[in-house]
Amino acid sequence: RENGVVTDFNYTPSHQKPFLQPTAGTTVSSHQDLKQIVEMTLGSEGVLNQAVKLPRGEDENEWMAVHCVDFYNQINMLYGTITEFCSPQSCPRMIATNEYEYLWSFQKGQAPVAVSAPKYVECLMRWCQDQFDDESVFPAKMSGQFPPKFIERYVVQMLRRLFRVYAHIYCHHFNEVLELNLQTVLNTSFRHFCLFSQEFELLRPADFGPLVELVMELRDR
Amino acid sequence: IKNSPKKLPRDFHVKAELHKTQRVVSVCQMYFLDYYCDMFDYVISRRQRTRKVLEYLNQQKTLKSLPDDRLNSEWVGYLEKEHDILRKRRLKPKNKDFE
Repeated sequence: RENGVVTDFNYTPSHQKPFLQPTAGTTVSSHQDLKQIVEMTLGSEGVLNQAVKLPRGEDENEWMAVHCVDFYNQINMLYGTITEFCSPQSCPRMIATNEYEYLWSFQKGQAPVAVSAPKYVECLMRWCQDQFDDESVFPAKMSGQFPPKFIERYVVQMLRRLFRVYAHIYCHHFNEVLELNLQTVLNTSFRHFCLFSQEFELLRPADFGPLVELVMELRDR
Repeated sequence: IKNSPKKLPRDFHVKAELHKTQRVVSVCQMYFLDYYCDMFDYVISRRQRTRKVLEYLNQQKTLKSLPDDRLNSEWVGYLEKEHDILRKRRLKPKNKDFE
């Protein structure tokens, strides 16, 4: 820490974590080379690792909520670029490799059914949107409170589902992504997603199903 | 990834050349550049603000010019302000679909 003794004025346990832990790689310390940092692969050297840390004294729920919205937007953008290539004809089932298939449940209590990838993504995005619009889940008013167990009940579930879109893109549209020269963007977004999940232990290795190897590789980079 | 089809779909290049595709691709790239610039800007600025507040509070503590509970309430007040800023970031109108 900077000047020897730093008094922590906040005494709640969740606030005891220091905001930034020193990392070996690049340190973001000023605004100057910001653009440069962003432009050279974001993935490299601990820049994102630092950015996902809970800011000192911040409410963990709010930090989760902001990231849910951010990843939702990122995935929307990424998937938007390949909608031409991901049709009910090309992808009649929402799969990631031949080993994983994700089903959608249209009504509570009803068995989930197989749908095409674009249909699945459409349902998923609308479902996310409904959650964001629900004041009792994602409070918009400054005084609004998060529901109890917000992270376990809502955040984890949303990230688990959003992950499946990455999985489908990586497993079935990566060549298109390469041709469109969007691999850096996709990798950055996914790496950010993984680092965030790891930092707060939101997803289990099993949730990464078809991309477990890729997750390991990105982590070690 | 290993199992991803090696060949591009037959009509890939036709679709890739489409004005619509080119547009969403460039919108996507701009979105990410913008997002990460803004996000790092926020993280850095916030860290600097926090450092200043902590410096100030430490200074006050050494000078004993303010009682301890006053220091704590100032810190809490600062955190509430930061919390509001963060919540506004979540609610700011986002680029919609561009479709």
